[in-house]
Amino acid sequence: MTLRDHVIAGFAETKIVRHGEQDVFSLAGEVFDGLLRSTGFEKNDVDGLIVTPSLTAAGHPFWAQTVADYLGLQVDFCDQTQLGGCSAVASVVRAAAAIDAGLCSTVALINADAPTLEDRYRNYSWYEEWLDPYGVMGPPGLFGFLSKRYEHQYGLDFEALGKLAVTQRDHALLNDNACEVLRKPITVEDYLTSRMISDPIRLLDCVMPADGANGFIVTRESTARQHGVARYAVPLGYGEVTNIEASRSLVDITESGHRIAGERAFTAAGLRPKDIGSFHPYDDFIIAIMIQLEMLGFCPPGQGASFIRETDFRFDGDLPLNTGGGQISAGQAGLAGGGTNLAEAVRQLLGEAGERQVRNTSSALVTGIGWLPYGRNWSSSVALILAPQS
Amino acid sequence: MINDTLSVQRAAIHRKTSSQPYWEATRERKLLLQYCPATGQYQFFPRPVSIATGRAELEWREVDGKGEIYSYSVTHRGPGPFVGQPPYAVVIVRLDVGADVIANLVGCEMPDVRIGLRVEPCWFPLEDGTHLLQFQPDEAAGTVTRSVNP
Repeated sequence: MTLRDHVIAGFAETKIVRHGEQDVFSLAGEVFDGLLRSTGFEKNDVDGLIVTPSLTAAGHPFWAQTVADYLGLQVDFCDQTQLGGCSAVASVVRAAAAIDAGLCSTVALINADAPTLEDRYRNYSWYEEWLDPYGVMGPPGLFGFLSKRYEHQYGLDFEALGKLAVTQRDHALLNDNACEVLRKPITVEDYLTSRMISDPIRLLDCVMPADGANGFIVTRESTARQHGVARYAVPLGYGEVTNIEASRSLVDITESGHRIAGERAFTAAGLRPKDIGSFHPYDDFIIAIMIQLEMLGFCPPGQGASFIRETDFRFDGDLPLNTGGGQISAGQAGLAGGGTNLAEAVRQLLGEAGERQVRNTSSALVTGIGWLPYGRNWSSSVALILAPQS
Repeated sequence: MINDTLSVQRAAIHRKTSSQPYWEATRERKLLLQYCPATGQYQFFPRPVSIATGRAELEWREVDGKGEIYSYSVTHRGPGPFVGQPPYAVVIVRLDVGADVIANLVGCEMPDVRIGLRVEPCWFPLEDGTHLLQFQPDEAAGTVTRSVNP
């Protein structure tokens, strides 16, 4: 069996909200119900469960079993993918691996988090000892380092970055599941003049925490067909790496693991960047999109800005980008947020994106970014190439 | 004007087992780094093993802490005890011995904060007698712009 003998048979997601009333269990239940409704699978067909981490449940080490219990699931495989923002995308491949190993046959991926309702996160790591005493402003501070160094090496074109912010915001206007407070148009000027957080990172560079959930059913292609699923998404290629250059004290902070992850995914898929129908990169900060364009081979390092200026990223353009608004304009559903762009990619491939439907549904590239290490680029990088099958 | 943040009361620092020799040495304002004798590589932050070999054979060596700014960010919105303190500078210093260290830059004004600036360590006293490592422009390199404001 290979990765592409497995499929994403269906997806579901909740609306993303800020300071909502629905707790993380209720969000998980809404998604599970949506998965069963949309795929025709029944609860007893599901014999595997993988969850993403949850900021709400941070500190509770029995999270996957707790979700199984709330959903009334008896499963033969129960796990949590612990890769920060990469978790949801990485869970697809872990589900396929578990099925391939004979541990289970159909896996529900349930990604739910509600950090604006309840957040129990404690950063038990070197942050407490080596960053907090210096007032480093969390992820915006660390992306400030990355951005300043990028600017030093290549120059930074803030108008090009602003174009990405505006395109994603325009897409959120077309996405009913996007967080309502973000569904207002912005201009490049708004981006350039938004409040400075940690120079050069401004407010409109940053993702906004929110609550929400998304989920997927992963099974064998033959099982999906038996259940009458008419159209599904097939993973063609995947790459993952955590802690690139971990053995070295001195690294280039502008180099991400997406170079390695992307090469693996493209090689397995037999595709090149120019073949990609729509691009759904993990977006915690706007500059992360540009760096991924470079690392994944859409353009050479340092030339992201000119590529952005030459490319139409709208849903009806040359390379549709985060057509649901991405996390930056739809809201980041905590550590379930890595599933938001994955759900959008699957939605596009299944032709269910309504007024923001892309023309080229031959393939989609989804990525993940997980965790920010000490003075380096991001910790985990994943890339997943999907294609539709019917 | 960049805030040197020396008036900020830092929260108690949660110190890990691997870091104890580092913190003890700061009582005498000495900078100790872990050194891997098998590869000749210094490393920071302190870890239980060499990041090069995975083995526990590590030495603690005193270094002069001189280096240059590899990257930086001027913070305009501070977390926790740093609320109301911005703007202040956090920097990644690439030490001459070959390790990167994150700290505040003090005694320096905005136009002079730049990548490549030569810096040297200075020490901010903590309540328990240990010191917090900070950096200031390297006087010998002729880049001091003003004295540090307490």
